[in-house]
Amino acid sequence: MTRRAIFTLPVVAVLALCLWLLAAFRLLPGDWPAWPFDPGTMSVPQILLAFGLMPRGAIALVAGAALGLSGALLQAVLRNPVADPTTLGISGGAQLALVAATILSPGLLEHGRWPVALVGAGLAAGLVMAIGARRAFAPVTMVIAGMMVAMTASAIATAITLSRGKYLLSLVIWNGGSLVQQDWSGVRVLAAVLGCAGIGAALLARPLRVLSLGAVGAQGLGMNVAAMRLAAVVVAVVLAAAVSAELGLIGFVGLAAPALARSMGARTMAQVLALSPMIGALVLSVCDGMVMALAGATGEMFPTGALTGLIGGPLLIWLLPRLRGSTPPGTEAGEGPGVRLAHPGRVLAGLAALALAAALVLVWVGRLPGGWAVLDWDSFRAFLPLRLPRLVAAGAAGAALALAGAVLQRLTANPLASPEVLGVSGGASMGYAATLYLVTAPGQAVLGLGTMLGGMAALVLVANYARRRDMPAERVLLAGVAVSAMAAALLSAIMATGSAQSWQVLAWLSGSSSTIGAAQAGTLAAMALGVLVAALLVRRWLQVLPLGAEVAAGVGLPLVGARLGLIALAGIATGAATVLIGPLSFVGLMAPHLARRIGLARAQDHVLGAALIGAILMIAADFGARMAGFPYELPLGLFASLLGAPWLIWLMMRMRR
Amino acid sequence: MTDALFRIRGLCVDVPGRRLIHGIDLDLPGRQMVALIGHNGSSKSTLLKVLARQIAHSAGSVAFAGRAITDYSARDYARRLAFMPQTTPPAEGMTVRELVALGRYPWHGALGRFGPDDHAAVDGAMAECGVVAFADQLVDTLSGGERQRCWLAMMVAQQAGTLLLDEPISALDIAHQVEVLSLVRRMCHDQGRTAIVVLHEVNMAARFCDHVVAMKAGRLALQGSPDELMRPEALEHVYGLPMQVLLRGDGGRVAVPA
Repeated sequence: MTRRAIFTLPVVAVLALCLWLLAAFRLLPGDWPAWPFDPGTMSVPQILLAFGLMPRGAIALVAGAALGLSGALLQAVLRNPVADPTTLGISGGAQLALVAATILSPGLLEHGRWPVALVGAGLAAGLVMAIGARRAFAPVTMVIAGMMVAMTASAIATAITLSRGKYLLSLVIWNGGSLVQQDWSGVRVLAAVLGCAGIGAALLARPLRVLSLGAVGAQGLGMNVAAMRLAAVVVAVVLAAAVSAELGLIGFVGLAAPALARSMGARTMAQVLALSPMIGALVLSVCDGMVMALAGATGEMFPTGALTGLIGGPLLIWLLPRLRGSTPPGTEAGEGPGVRLAHPGRVLAGLAALALAAALVLVWVGRLPGGWAVLDWDSFRAFLPLRLPRLVAAGAAGAALALAGAVLQRLTANPLASPEVLGVSGGASMGYAATLYLVTAPGQAVLGLGTMLGGMAALVLVANYARRRDMPAERVLLAGVAVSAMAAALLSAIMATGSAQSWQVLAWLSGSSSTIGAAQAGTLAAMALGVLVAALLVRRWLQVLPLGAEVAAGVGLPLVGARLGLIALAGIATGAATVLIGPLSFVGLMAPHLARRIGLARAQDHVLGAALIGAILMIAADFGARMAGFPYELPLGLFASLLGAPWLIWLMMRMRR
Repeated sequence: MTDALFRIRGLCVDVPGRRLIHGIDLDLPGRQMVALIGHNGSSKSTLLKVLARQIAHSAGSVAFAGRAITDYSARDYARRLAFMPQTTPPAEGMTVRELVALGRYPWHGALGRFGPDDHAAVDGAMAECGVVAFADQLVDTLSGGERQRCWLAMMVAQQAGTLLLDEPISALDIAHQVEVLSLVRRMCHDQGRTAIVVLHEVNMAARFCDHVVAMKAGRLALQGSPDELMRPEALEHVYGLPMQVLLRGDGGRVAVPA
């Protein structure tokens, strides 16, 4: 226990208690029920207090502690300050299992959501660990694999929901993480899980401290690194899965608690592991207390999980400069040396041909109520003006996002960087939502402007970090993650209100090109082309920058200007594409990664290949989105992640060092 | 010394809460191989990074070839001075030729044509550092010594008159240490370049360098020729440890802890 923690924690604890008492006294000013509770003899407000508010206060503490401990374990074992329960795909797996069970086989939920969600979470975590095991649980591999699994799971879940042509409001709220309780069962289950996990974490504290030397160092000290990592991950997964099953997605507590613990001076592994659950419990309690205070006696306005994101995002951004040095992601060889093609030109030509062929064929083939149909010449000419703009727009959006991703990955020398991760998409979606609420009946142009402004605002914030010369790339990423999470929290809060605007946000979030016109498509294509030309012009910057700031400055690169210029380039590309396809697509992460994986190593080949792959992905996704759920149209961005993520997971499983 | 390449006056470097370099006055000669030595944490690497403009100094002045180093533009400075960091970063998916060609950036810039001059400089640099045989291999597949020579070739391709090297031999075996230092020494003596090299090994510094600057706790401990350094009392002053100097048959001196 550090001195700062001793001063800070009690103050926060009192604040949390006051907030809870505020809600409790508003419900029932006096005459509180006596222990043991007997519903038969109690009035309705007494029952509400004893079986609603009291377990709710308790579960906030228990769930927060569980998330804090889970995050601390994951960050220790992945040696990655951006790791948290969601990066392993646990929540995504739980969500998918729950949605699938609700829609396809409601009988499975007979015994509560617990077993179903736990199976989903376990399967997702198992898949991530199966990938990780092939590389001795190298941190970068685990995080990439986890994000891919989470993304695929959430895309499938949303696709299932939308393909049935109905929206499940309760699932949307569950996604936001509501803490409303009806009895003490949830508290009992979570407390039992937390107790067992706490013992496990205590036993793991010393091995984890050895592991903080790095895998090689720990191995040299005679430790079975893979087994120790597996044990720590299992404990963290069980904790996070339990919380996911009981309460839904509560982001950021697992990320913020260990970071806060370190900023309070927790230095050793034991201190971080002990402080993180306490901080997590208090953070979630204060958040829930605020939700209750805001909601008043009338009921829930928005889920608590949304608020943890709203508070957690700015908190993390504030914390960034104070964070101590940590192992940057990527220092441990995660993926082994990539391949390199001898003749990249042939592959690029092939990709370009494939993009054209895909566009042509996909215009030609369509689906009718009776089955599939290949258009004859007359119908082709009739359909072309209808289908061409959206194909062009989808391809251009994919290319723009992929370009942004390639530029950002080279700029930060981090394979995890992408417009989605850097918060540009998140900022853009906040701009979109703000425009919806601030302007009465906004047109497409106004919405587009608002979206771009939001993306730019996020960029300015992140660029503020990138501008500082000594700011390592991983901090910049962390700032972006914070912006993204804040945006996600804000959007789920908006959606949980169930107003007219919220449906519009949901529809846009998943992205669709159905309303696109020829002029818009042309503009987007021109923008994508402009960004491509600009990226090719600065290919030498992109070639030098992955070698790090020292080398780049050493050969006379204008470091500050180059960083700002490239970030602005990525921002323009993302903003333009996001207006069309929504923030959920992961094309910006996938396409550059795939381009590198098939062996496009030089900057200009990498950039061009990423743009082509992005375009192909989105064109294919557009076709799939039109056909898969016929006659309903599935969201374009979601379909793109459905296509690309499994491929990337397969690639990662296949490759060995 | 009238033709000092670097003229350092009252140089201070601060990091939050601590002063790393305490007001150094120093002239570094040109067209020589200069060793920067000192114990761990003596701020010898910090001094080198200030000279390379990798970190900014907080007080004092540093002039390079008669002009304050802050007056040069980034590319202008890179044409005159090349810097190799202590740990060379992984060059993911890059061939040796591409890495060496990066050294031409100060000359052609972001948009300029990669012309015949550039090709000639890259070929010449690879030949000088003996890496022509690996030209089309991936940098990351080479051994430590070969990789170090590739990075040296990149600095040579930069055609800078001054090379700054931060512990270039710390990860190499003794044969490769000698090889790399001989290469740097040849560059200085045959082509009239200046090299400023941070070294841990005092015997290597004395054997290969023409001038030695010793740092101690952020201050200048001594500077002079290798012979002036290789005396027991001078070495004890620099390293805070009794040292013995043995005379070899050929007149060279070897320092060992007493």
